[in-house]
Amino acid sequence: MSERGQPSYQEVNDAVLPTMTTFTWRYWTALSISVTVMIFGFFAPWWYQLFVGVGAAGMSRAAYWGTYLGNFIFWIGLSHSGTLLSAVLHITQSDWRKSIYRSAEAMTLFSLITAAFYVMVHLGRLWFVHWTVPIPNVMGLWPNFRSPLMFDVMAITTYLTASSIFIYMGSVPDFATVRDNATGLRRKIYAIMCFGWRGTDREWHRLGWAYTFFAVLVIPLAVSVHSIVSWDFALSIVPGLHHTIFAPYFVCGAIFSGTAGIVTVMYFLRKYFHFERYITEKHFNNLGKLLLLLSLIWSYINMLELFTGWFSGSSFEIEALRFKLFGFYAPLFWEMIAFCAFLPLVLFSEKIRTNFRLMLWISIAINIGMFTERFLIVATTQPRKFLPDAFSFYMPSLVEIAITIGSFAVFTTLFLVFVKVFPSMSMYEVKETLNLPTRKGART
Amino acid sequence: MSANIIGVYQYADDLLDAAGRLKASGFDEIELMSPIPLHGVEKVLGPKKSVLRRFALFGAIVGGVGGFLMAALSAIVFILPTSGRPIVPWPPFLIITFETTILLGTLATLIGFFFSANLPAWKDRPYLPAFSDNRFGVHVGCDEDAAEKVEKIMLDAGAEKVERVKT
Repeated sequence: MSERGQPSYQEVNDAVLPTMTTFTWRYWTALSISVTVMIFGFFAPWWYQLFVGVGAAGMSRAAYWGTYLGNFIFWIGLSHSGTLLSAVLHITQSDWRKSIYRSAEAMTLFSLITAAFYVMVHLGRLWFVHWTVPIPNVMGLWPNFRSPLMFDVMAITTYLTASSIFIYMGSVPDFATVRDNATGLRRKIYAIMCFGWRGTDREWHRLGWAYTFFAVLVIPLAVSVHSIVSWDFALSIVPGLHHTIFAPYFVCGAIFSGTAGIVTVMYFLRKYFHFERYITEKHFNNLGKLLLLLSLIWSYINMLELFTGWFSGSSFEIEALRFKLFGFYAPLFWEMIAFCAFLPLVLFSEKIRTNFRLMLWISIAINIGMFTERFLIVATTQPRKFLPDAFSFYMPSLVEIAITIGSFAVFTTLFLVFVKVFPSMSMYEVKETLNLPTRKGART
Repeated sequence: MSANIIGVYQYADDLLDAAGRLKASGFDEIELMSPIPLHGVEKVLGPKKSVLRRFALFGAIVGGVGGFLMAALSAIVFILPTSGRPIVPWPPFLIITFETTILLGTLATLIGFFFSANLPAWKDRPYLPAFSDNRFGVHVGCDEDAAEKVEKIMLDAGAEKVERVKT
């Protein structure tokens, strides 16, 4: 410990590097459970569905979209936690971001991968996925770029690429630190991963510029991604979906659930990796304020959506609204309102924002609410399309439920592997927040 | 024959002082190494320019034009009339254009970073592992005759140690 009560550079390394090489029984237990659930909850049911056909899911006539697309929105939404927040905080030079952004960006990446899996699960006949690529295929077909589904393909591909580059480039100096503290094969692997980084003035200068460019490019990209996801729904003429408010509604909801996701991950990193000195009350307090703001915006947009549906006077819209608010899934709707609109109001209290355990539970509740919201978007609209003889009912099948549970295991597995490959906290950026070692400073 | 000399410093201000003295003594091949980006380097070694922004701009333009062409040509090759709407409509294709602008812009920035930072570099270059931990370093490439002078400047500026390295 340095004389000013701050950790020294060496102590920052000592706090982070062992988290990559220490494998506790807790880690192995968590990894074993998540891999098992991933295989039997996600990949096995998916394989079964590929084998017997997409009829294994609960989707039927009128309700052609089900849990898969609801989950797809949820995971895309969760992905807005990291890269977007990290980029915004980088541009605004918010130093408090530095100890949490690496894990947040990892969340982005793994949420996106999970979301991309859902597109493939929903596709049914996975072996035709290359039809979305503009290359001539055996049928002489070319993709229709006027469709929001093709917007999705482009947006997710771009976001996945940009997020991967963003997190990787931000990690290069830390890979060099790992290399310098490793031996044998591990050293060789990290020497390749850090591209021979030496931390020269030239390299830092170029990285600083490149990172800022990435951030500037990623911010509008992230906004576009969830707007495009919303247009998958809003560009249809289905009552309850055909709203112009959908793009901001989705983007706001995405950042809301993503920020809650960061709080959840931060809690566990702080607790199990002993990052108490780096992830502090300040981080929870700031994210709590952000959650409160997002909750208020989300509630406002939600009210607006309900109001415009009612005010339209269209009997189709009003029926969709009635089914959502008072139909079979009404308890889920009111649960969503309770968790996402009312519960976050407690965050007006600083005491609650700085209480780690309460923040964990609030963040989990918010994400349960947001998950419900995404389910309701698909489950309450398509089955109430126009004429009553076309009405149907959507209930997820066991395969869909298993895949939903399994997808959480996919995410957890990826994250558990990540914390052993990447330093889960950016060492060099945390060092940047500390006092620079100077001879003048040493004398005082 | 040329020499590669590294000076190791505990304090960042000593490092910048050493860099300033070396620069003033006429040495140009100076590299500073540090565990974090240092502020004030440009004051000592002069402003840095990079071609990175040109890469980003070029990638974004190519991405934008390419994305629009991809969407437009796909529509022209496989004509899918929908009501009376145009075969090559602007609004939806601008979304594709936007995405590919960002995609190629990002990839070009990455390439620009590697190009302008001289990375990846697989061969051994003057470096000590302490520079990623808690020490600051300066590397000077000079003639063998000037090596002693460089070492003296480094030590005078407060170097903990000075090393000659082979590359």
